[in-house]
Amino acid sequence: MKSYITMRPGIPVMATLVVLVLNGCAAPTYYPPRPGTQPPPVIEPGGGVPVEERQPLPPLTRPSVPVPVPQQPVQRPQPAAVVALLDTAEQQANDGDLEAAAASLERAIRIDPRNAVLWYHLATVRLSQGNPAAAEQMAVKSNSLATGNTAQQARNWDLIARARRSRDDETGAQEAERRARALR
Amino acid sequence: MAKRRKRGRKKTRGKTSRRHFPWIKLTLALLLVLAGYVVWLDVQVTSQFAGKRWSLPARVYARPLELYAGQTISAEQFVTELKALHYRPVKSVQQAGQYSRNRNTFHVVTRPFSFWDGESPSKNLRVTFSGASIAMLANRDSGRAESLARLDPVLVGSFYPAHNEDRVLLQLDKVPVSLTDALIAIEDRGFYRHQGIAPLAIVRALWVNLRARGVVQGGSTLTQQLVKNFFLSSERSLVRKLNEAIMSILLELHYEKDEILEAYLNEVYLGQDGQRSVHGFGLASYFYFERPLAELRVDQYALLVGLVKGPSYYNPWKQPERARARRNLVLDVMRDMSLISAEEATSAKARQLGVGSAGRKAINTFPAFLDLVRRQLQRDYRDDDITSEGLSIFTTLDPQVQWVLERVMTARLDGLDGTPGGERGKLEAAAVITAAGNGEVLALAGGRDPKFAGFNRALDAVRQVGSLVKPAVYLTALEQPDRYTLATLLDDSPLTYTARNGDVWEPGNYDKLNHGEVPLYQALAHSYNISTARLGLALGVGKVVQTLKRLGVEQHLNPYPSLMLGAVEMSPLQVARMYQTFASGGFATPLRSITAVLAADKTPLQRYPLDVAAAVQPGPNYLITTAMQHVVREGTGQAIYHVLPAEQAVAGKTGTTDDLRDSWFAGFTGDRLGVIWIGRDDNQPTGLTGSSGALRIWRDVFAATGGTDLQPPGDDIEYHWIDPVSGLLADESCADAVQLPFIRGSAPIEAAACMRGPRPLDWFEELFN
Repeated sequence: MKSYITMRPGIPVMATLVVLVLNGCAAPTYYPPRPGTQPPPVIEPGGGVPVEERQPLPPLTRPSVPVPVPQQPVQRPQPAAVVALLDTAEQQANDGDLEAAAASLERAIRIDPRNAVLWYHLATVRLSQGNPAAAEQMAVKSNSLATGNTAQQARNWDLIARARRSRDDETGAQEAERRARALR
Repeated sequence: MAKRRKRGRKKTRGKTSRRHFPWIKLTLALLLVLAGYVVWLDVQVTSQFAGKRWSLPARVYARPLELYAGQTISAEQFVTELKALHYRPVKSVQQAGQYSRNRNTFHVVTRPFSFWDGESPSKNLRVTFSGASIAMLANRDSGRAESLARLDPVLVGSFYPAHNEDRVLLQLDKVPVSLTDALIAIEDRGFYRHQGIAPLAIVRALWVNLRARGVVQGGSTLTQQLVKNFFLSSERSLVRKLNEAIMSILLELHYEKDEILEAYLNEVYLGQDGQRSVHGFGLASYFYFERPLAELRVDQYALLVGLVKGPSYYNPWKQPERARARRNLVLDVMRDMSLISAEEATSAKARQLGVGSAGRKAINTFPAFLDLVRRQLQRDYRDDDITSEGLSIFTTLDPQVQWVLERVMTARLDGLDGTPGGERGKLEAAAVITAAGNGEVLALAGGRDPKFAGFNRALDAVRQVGSLVKPAVYLTALEQPDRYTLATLLDDSPLTYTARNGDVWEPGNYDKLNHGEVPLYQALAHSYNISTARLGLALGVGKVVQTLKRLGVEQHLNPYPSLMLGAVEMSPLQVARMYQTFASGGFATPLRSITAVLAADKTPLQRYPLDVAAAVQPGPNYLITTAMQHVVREGTGQAIYHVLPAEQAVAGKTGTTDDLRDSWFAGFTGDRLGVIWIGRDDNQPTGLTGSSGALRIWRDVFAATGGTDLQPPGDDIEYHWIDPVSGLLADESCADAVQLPFIRGSAPIEAAACMRGPRPLDWFEELFN
């Protein structure tokens, strides 16, 4: 078991005691500890807790579950709802109704908030709406979600370059273009 | 005497010389005055009728429930949503607003609804659930899969004008013909023929009433009734009667019958709901039957028409027998006039009144959330516009989350009553739940009683935040990867700090112990004050203040060292704003409660777009999020996993202030952020730590609503095994090694003593061998 706590029992035991004292003040009722469980379990104060919670809880010194190391998610297919909204947004943008396109994309982001493609499209719409500052931020957001997807990252940098150029930031635009090229 | 005589003489003389003149003059003058008066009345009638006629309260809607394959919602939650919308469970669905259920499969006909992005048509859907999500969504008309649909949104409240008149405006072409037919049959049979007044109608009413052995009809025309309601006071006098008659004729001269009928349908007084008066058939339908007029049956139309005569006398809740008799009388008249068949009349008369639950309905369901909505609206609209322009306000409220929050909060606080500090009813709480991805406020509680529209603690209880501020200190450090990593050892030995002005600061740990050298992530996990203070001082308080500003803290912050241990006051909403930045991957996101506003005619007025701004680099944000995961896995927030499943990733931080006055917990999963506060309004101790109080509310809410995984690391993050005692590189074989994330290239190079293979002599091992 990889647990820092079991290695140096002094701190957690003291912490446990403090918690126990506090909870003891709060709730005079103790439940009998399960046989072989030391120290006694921490009991929550109050009687309003759901019944299933009135079981003795595991002691604080139990081996903690380590914080898991996340695996990179495999490229998952986009939900049909998101695809439908992307289509709608594209149609709306083509019709010149940018406000509606943005609303559709925001609706899609509500469904799938970590979809880098959606944030990129929203960035594009913001740029068309004449809001390059917001467009750049959306593209940066898309970048932060496009881990491992260099093609998407390159598209985002291209968009950032356009956004910066439209704000007369030629140096910034060239820097963004350089980063886009490096990703190709 | 002399005077009188004189005048008398004069009069006599006049009479003799020009005998008829004064009468003509007088009559002419009178006629002139009368004509002027009629003109004045005419101006009144036309200007008021043609201009803006009604002030309409703003309607506030929750988010619409999106339906799509993969949506996380259980069949039970779906039913709750349908019930809140007053969809009717039936055996076989036929019209909008109905649903049928066969285990996990639902047939639903959605209502058409005008959203910001246009009209959503009614759809005939089959929704199949599997576990806690929608497995399939199909359109029963086309027989094909439906990629996306939405229900109409739950109405969560209204902003009323000062006079408390409420109505739902109807257009005549949307009003069922059987309703108007019944109305005309009962109230004014000659409506389409008369000129505003109908002297014969009085006679006819008498005749009808005699025949029915009761008062069925009144003598006033619909036009007169409208004029009475519309322009005149309720006093009963001859002058008023005359005014009513003149104005009725004038109204008929200027306007079409249908325009008058439509106005009548919207104006007529049909009930009272506490302070709120219920006007028009549109609102009356919701008030009495909890559904739109188009979904009512003929017996329900008959009841509404019957109520015109006296909404309080025939109140269906207080006087059900009277109301029933009145309704049946209307049905009889409808049958006699061949508006319905005899069979229809018989079956309709046999029905229950079918009214919804009694009680006041105007009470805004979620007062704390509505308060937030109103404050955000007041930035863009005048108060008058909010209460009288008939705005539709689309909000971000998720009733599913709000219901859970309210239930949990009440149960938890009731459970704490009677504990030290929990003197009965003294403990208060507040909560904010937002969507991690876009900053939308999903649920809000302003106190332990969710229906109480008083002091909104989520917005206005500005309290010390204690250790909730610490992640800002640690983030400031982690943004310098060449100096600090999660594995960096911090010094937790006693600290005495003398400020330039000579003030001495000696922070102590909550457990009154010193912990020697601790890796940075554990110092945060266990919320050690001394190592945090020392770290903050090394970084500079000014730097930490800058970090807090970047995270979205807007108020003035005094750069005192005590700030780093939580000597800063914030409301739960402000804390949520700060933690939102962590939860959204380092992007500061304004918290929004409104998505869009529509004008009364359903044209879009304003949209409140999604807005993000990079505030923290993704790398350091990932590191601080990981440290906050350690808080709940092994630190002060462990109690989370007494209930939540071990595989549910959570990042959070407890906060406790001096003498246990405030109990805080702020934490997030991949999709939601929650900030909970417990304390007392008199700022007395509560006897609760962040962990024994607020955390438990958070835990119960998130256990019930579920959560997705936290955002995975970006390209600039690499993981290494670390020996937490030395903070040095380890490997899997080391006894207590942990895997920690590092900004690429920032991990320690030196290997810990426990490493296998060629390494320095391990004296520790030797000792035991």
